[in-house]
Amino acid sequence: LTAPFPAFSYGLQTQAGAPADPLTRRAPPRPRGHPQVSTAEPPPILPCRRPGPASPRGAPLQPGTAARLPEPRVSADTVLAPLRAALDACRATVQKQVCNDIGRRLTVLEDAWAQGKLSAPVRKRMSLLVQELQQQRWDAADEIHRSLMVDHVNEVSQWMVGVKRLIAERRDLPTGETDSADTETTTETTTETEPGQEEP
Amino acid sequence: MVVPLACLLTPLKERLDLPPVQYEPVLCSRPTCKAVLNPLCQVDYRAKLWACNFCFQRNQFPPAYAGISEVNQPAELMPQFSTIEYIVQRGPQTPLIFLYVVDTCLEEEDLQALKESLQMSLSLLPPDALVGLITFGRMVQVHELSCEGISKSYVFRGTKDLTAKQIQDMLGLSRPAVPMQQGRPLQTPEQPAISSRFLQPVHKIDMNLTDLLGELQRDPWPVTQGKRPLRSTGVALSIAVGLLEGTFPNTGARIMLFTGGPPTQGPGMVVGDELKTPIRSWHDIEKDNARFMKKATKHYETLANRSAANGHCIDIYACALDQTGLLEMKCCANLTGGHMVMGDSFNTSLFKQTFQRVFSKGYNGEFRMAFGANLDVKTSRELKIAGAIGPCISLNAKGPCVSENELGIGGTSQWKICSLDPSTTLAIYFEVVNQHNAPIPQGGRGAVQFVTQYQHSSTQRRIRVTTIARNWADAQTQLQHIEAAFDQEAAAVLMARLGVYRAESEEGPDVLRWLDRQLIRLCQKFGQYNKDDPNSFRLSESFSLYPQFIFHLRRSPFLQVFNNSPDESSYYRHHFARQDLTQSLIMIQPILYAYSFHGPPEPVLLDSSSILPDRILLMDTFFQIVIYLGETIAQWQKAGYQDMPEYENFKHLLQAPLDDAQEILQTRFPMPRYIHTEHGGSQARFLLSKVNPSQTHNNLYAWGQESGAPILTDDVSLQVFMDHLKKLAVSSAS
Repeated sequence: LTAPFPAFSYGLQTQAGAPADPLTRRAPPRPRGHPQVSTAEPPPILPCRRPGPASPRGAPLQPGTAARLPEPRVSADTVLAPLRAALDACRATVQKQVCNDIGRRLTVLEDAWAQGKLSAPVRKRMSLLVQELQQQRWDAADEIHRSLMVDHVNEVSQWMVGVKRLIAERRDLPTGETDSADTETTTETTTETEPGQEEP
Repeated sequence: MVVPLACLLTPLKERLDLPPVQYEPVLCSRPTCKAVLNPLCQVDYRAKLWACNFCFQRNQFPPAYAGISEVNQPAELMPQFSTIEYIVQRGPQTPLIFLYVVDTCLEEEDLQALKESLQMSLSLLPPDALVGLITFGRMVQVHELSCEGISKSYVFRGTKDLTAKQIQDMLGLSRPAVPMQQGRPLQTPEQPAISSRFLQPVHKIDMNLTDLLGELQRDPWPVTQGKRPLRSTGVALSIAVGLLEGTFPNTGARIMLFTGGPPTQGPGMVVGDELKTPIRSWHDIEKDNARFMKKATKHYETLANRSAANGHCIDIYACALDQTGLLEMKCCANLTGGHMVMGDSFNTSLFKQTFQRVFSKGYNGEFRMAFGANLDVKTSRELKIAGAIGPCISLNAKGPCVSENELGIGGTSQWKICSLDPSTTLAIYFEVVNQHNAPIPQGGRGAVQFVTQYQHSSTQRRIRVTTIARNWADAQTQLQHIEAAFDQEAAAVLMARLGVYRAESEEGPDVLRWLDRQLIRLCQKFGQYNKDDPNSFRLSESFSLYPQFIFHLRRSPFLQVFNNSPDESSYYRHHFARQDLTQSLIMIQPILYAYSFHGPPEPVLLDSSSILPDRILLMDTFFQIVIYLGETIAQWQKAGYQDMPEYENFKHLLQAPLDDAQEILQTRFPMPRYIHTEHGGSQARFLLSKVNPSQTHNNLYAWGQESGAPILTDDVSLQVFMDHLKKLAVSSAS
């Protein structure tokens, strides 16, 4: 039997609160001798529900229920333009070489996107990351960058470090220079930004 | 004592109810005591005095405590703070250090996966952490990290052992002597930071290092047919240890070794490069036919001790299908609190997810790693400290509370743990003294204090103090008190640690005999029976599971080397010596859950009789998670019932153990092997080798009815084991 190794997401792992009751109970020792006999003949019929009151750990994980919703297409430009704008904001204060390095990686990202090398979850999370960046929620943007590195390293490793650096440099800019950033409504996107499980 | 007085201590256990306090602990003024003020101390609020509960010294409160009264107590006097953590200001804070030591003698696919994992890790490190890179194959390269985009490296021959001094000279780290200070890099502000050529803050060099890692090539030296690649692991580690020793002594640092095969040249080589000569097996070792073992072990032990003395830990991530020399290198991780991870390939979920988890964060958003811990144990007079077993080294702190009888790493009341996480657990053994000449006062209590000073992942210095006390009971007249207070789970783990510790230096059968003797003596002392009547033998509730734990321990890979390579044994033992009670018990006696239509999922006996056709079993051995479909279930699955709407409940049944397995996998470190099998499947052996063989080919027909799964083994079953135990326990001859 080949079952896929259970897939994880960075988000699930970091969201996990206090550990649930682990499967650590043991059966009490039984008086010797009489193993139970089961009579298993026909396949079981409905009622159609989980055997018993769910698993001992409570509700099962429902991968991707939220992500199944139809998804708006994200265009490369909606992600790249704000990133380039952020880079431009840095140019005055940050070393030229660092800026060029970041710029080079944004080009790699642009090419990968144009060539269709990026999967839907990566594109989706990148657009969320850019939204956070525009809202100047640096920690949230950084957290999305981490989730992308952990969950999709082979897709993003070439250029993500540039985005990471950009977040870091942008957050370090003196506050006076940040007012060019969007200051629109700050409440809308907060609920979506948790990097949870997404469709494969 | 049939089971020594002992405890399992998890020094940094995650405690959400325990906010740290931001001041220094108050210490007993007696220079030989220095116990920390705690809720067990007697306090005279009017005179502003407190009496140490260990040495009875009367101490004055420091001036800051002038306002103390019955209603205004500092946290450390409140009973709920028997464990308390202090954040203290000690010296400058230095960033954490991560030095990657990377084997390049890997298959292309493996190297690519490893490179990606390393690039990924740069995103998980604290931004101000220092990182360095050493790569090795036939040669060893120490990479200079600079932001200029020109990569430069120092190349060392992989065959020559170098002293720390030589390494530092060659890397240009030597300089006029600067007074060494604890926790401070050896550099003064005027001097440019010399070490920064090899160790740079992540946030500065992440882009260059990403490129450098991305460009790493396989070791260019040709490997001819029938040869192993020449791999200089011994020299690479030696350079890593020397580099940190010279630049950041007594600062939290991880050397992370990633290797895809055994060291094949230079100091620390484990096997020659001829493929026709296989790497040593247990058989070779028993026949004294492991040519390189002793010398290699010595090389790595020297490195491990140096590293531990400097407070640096060494992780080993070994991924290969054959052995990689963990047996010889184990001390590097064991003595320094480093991780040991064993996998088939770097290109597996097992490695990738395990490695990612090294950098995981706790509930409070802090890294689950701490460094440079110093554990100091203090006891009241009637107790002496016999030793500790865990990922630590002795600090050779002698004193009146240290016992002459050693259990584990003894002869000291202090140990150093170079790296630990919130689950790292030490076994600490005690001896009760003065039982005969000075009887222990009735109603008295014995007290123990554990003081752990460490570097928090935020680089703060912190001190965690736990003080506990237990009532004394007389072993002659109050046996029932001892019985009632007996923690059989902890006792099983503590005895197992002793057994596994002995197994590292003694012959396997001797250790088993010792364990058996201890078990028989325990049954003689606490069992109820009539002499020479095995049928009359009874153990009370609080002992009922203990013999069963020992039965499974005897069969476990911690004590049995049959069917395991020396590397595997080293790996299993490494993890056993540091896990907490729950995880350790899972290792000793795996957990088995059954899923069926007869009711909710339930724990079942780890017994062949539990393997029934209409059940799905989930077994957790810590190292493996096995899902096993019984015969009927497997047939239903093959028939595709799970895809028919009217049998949706069957689909749920199949899914339930997967969901539970996933829950376990979310928190386990290292990631276990995940096995999904069925009745008759070859991988079912993982389950069959663990269950108690109550039904075998020898006794199957005696059962009258066929149920459960007979195991083809000549091993004794728990029933036979218990029968013998009873016989021996009640025998008047013993």
